[in-house]
Amino acid sequence: MQGAVSKSIVIDPVTRIEGHGKITLQLDANGRVEDARFHVTQFRGFEKFCEGRPFSEMPALMARICGICPVSHLIASAKACDALLAVRIPPTADKLRRIFGLAQVVQSHALSFFYLSSPDLLLGMDADPAKANLFGVLEKKPELARDGIHLRQFGQQIIERLGGKRIHPSWVVPGGVSEPLTELNRDAILAGIPEALAIAERTLGWFKSIMENFREEIGSFGNFPSLFLGIVKKDGGLTFYDGGIRIVNSAGEVLANGLDPADYREYIGEKVESWSYLKSPYYEPSGYPQGIYRVGPLARLNVADRCGTPRADQELAEFHELQRTAVLSSFHYHHARLVEILYCVERLEQLLTDPEILSKHVRAVAGPNCLEGVGCCEAPRGTLFHHYKIDEKGLIRWANLLIATGHNNLAMNRGILQVAKHFVHGERMTPGMLNRVEALIRTYDPCLSCSTHAFGAMPLVIQLFNASGDMVDEVRRPC
Amino acid sequence: MARVLVLGYGNPLRSDDALGWRVAVELFRANASPDVLVLPCHQLTPDLAETASLVETVIFVDCSHKGEPGKILCEEVRSQSGPASFTHDLSPAALLALAAELFGVCPRAYMFTVCGECFDPGESFSPSVSSCIPGLKAMIRRQIEDALIDTVGRQKLVS
Repeated sequence: MQGAVSKSIVIDPVTRIEGHGKITLQLDANGRVEDARFHVTQFRGFEKFCEGRPFSEMPALMARICGICPVSHLIASAKACDALLAVRIPPTADKLRRIFGLAQVVQSHALSFFYLSSPDLLLGMDADPAKANLFGVLEKKPELARDGIHLRQFGQQIIERLGGKRIHPSWVVPGGVSEPLTELNRDAILAGIPEALAIAERTLGWFKSIMENFREEIGSFGNFPSLFLGIVKKDGGLTFYDGGIRIVNSAGEVLANGLDPADYREYIGEKVESWSYLKSPYYEPSGYPQGIYRVGPLARLNVADRCGTPRADQELAEFHELQRTAVLSSFHYHHARLVEILYCVERLEQLLTDPEILSKHVRAVAGPNCLEGVGCCEAPRGTLFHHYKIDEKGLIRWANLLIATGHNNLAMNRGILQVAKHFVHGERMTPGMLNRVEALIRTYDPCLSCSTHAFGAMPLVIQLFNASGDMVDEVRRPC
Repeated sequence: MARVLVLGYGNPLRSDDALGWRVAVELFRANASPDVLVLPCHQLTPDLAETASLVETVIFVDCSHKGEPGKILCEEVRSQSGPASFTHDLSPAALLALAAELFGVCPRAYMFTVCGECFDPGESFSPSVSSCIPGLKAMIRRQIEDALIDTVGRQKLVS
């Protein structure tokens, strides 16, 4: 009767991602993948334990959500607080926040591409898991590892120069930023631009040269029709700081444009599934789950008409040529990430050479003037919303956060199913099969929670269960 | 250009685990020497490899969960490539290996550890860890002084 029993494969935990999650693959009686689920098994609860706190504490408190992208949470939170204050922040503060956000994108994308995904790209999906790390990259192509370290350091040092520290800085405050930029720091950051640009261009060139080696992965790594969501400037340009929400369909047609982020609940539904702590947002007019959409680098380049910087614009045009419609394969998140790094470095230079950038007027001061505020920005992994309600004393009464990774939840699940159906056969998983399922997840660079403190080693365990729930096989990946 | 780098690391919100970070913060505030760079950090990341490659001596400070609570240990650290499960944090030995392999220079390095008792969420130390901090700081200062006297600590691996 063994052939008639359906079985499942559990990948727990998924490695080389931010946070803790597991994957369950349900097999049919013939050992073919029938269903797949990405479970996020950690719970944070920031929305609840901030209740009762003064709203002015929110940016610093919310930055603690994440150790990789605290700046994005700072910015979205401060923007929600700006809305509570009902102020327009000084122009220089606006530009400094943009610089802060761009630096964060550079360092976060560098971490994702060079540290987490480049082993797959350089060594191949079937590489020995013991070598699939930065040391493996170092052995085969040391200049790639060196470039990754330099680029991440470049972004981190900008954050440190502006915010005073690399992780959990609290420099962005309601009404602006707490300190102006000094001439010394501006010049030090500008001095690093040429090397960062060279690394971005070099890495893009290398990535494009190896893309042909991954035709099968491009075809099966989350390559399906979906909507794409991101914020764009009024002229349709790429932005990480503010703009209107644009949604395009898989044909590349604009479905909605200029939507006010403050009205997000009118067009984004939030579904909760019993098997994951991660919400499953969807585009409300299309319903659940048909309203599946993707955010992040791939989505941003699909919704943007232009970047607004010369070199990134050339790369964007080339990126758009990958497919006549929207670019659908999630494998191209890697490519999009590199184009965005190039854009960020170019844009940093534009902003830092702005004549107003050293102005001392960087904060607007006011008391609470509204009882509800929404802040939205583009975090490295996608669109981020912070929504707060306060009482008349300025204490938080209710909060809702829509995190970038959450937007991609439905797409990650569908992508896992697709890649597993393509690569997983039978009841035994080879390291190559396993790695491809994980690599699909890594294309999204999910940030399940970077600020949790991992204690001890993280072994990879794969368990096979039969339909009765009995474990029939178990494989452990050595640490 | 600094000659000695002190890297104290740990989670400031995990009781005794904050030891390295806290000691580095205190040494940073008290440090006036251009020869000494003190960096408090949450964990050792690959981007610290270049900074480490630019000094003669690195002093790591961390809390351990093995041993006798409050006991201070100091040992020399040798470079060694990282574990297979490496993502974006490193051991001191792996950081030195990265510095050597990527930047051609492996500094001499020492590791100061104190065994902690409590790693629960919290911002205070257990009594055994708290009481050893003055002695630990004095030992680190002596190590810094020794390192500044020693002019042959740096091993040039690549000319």
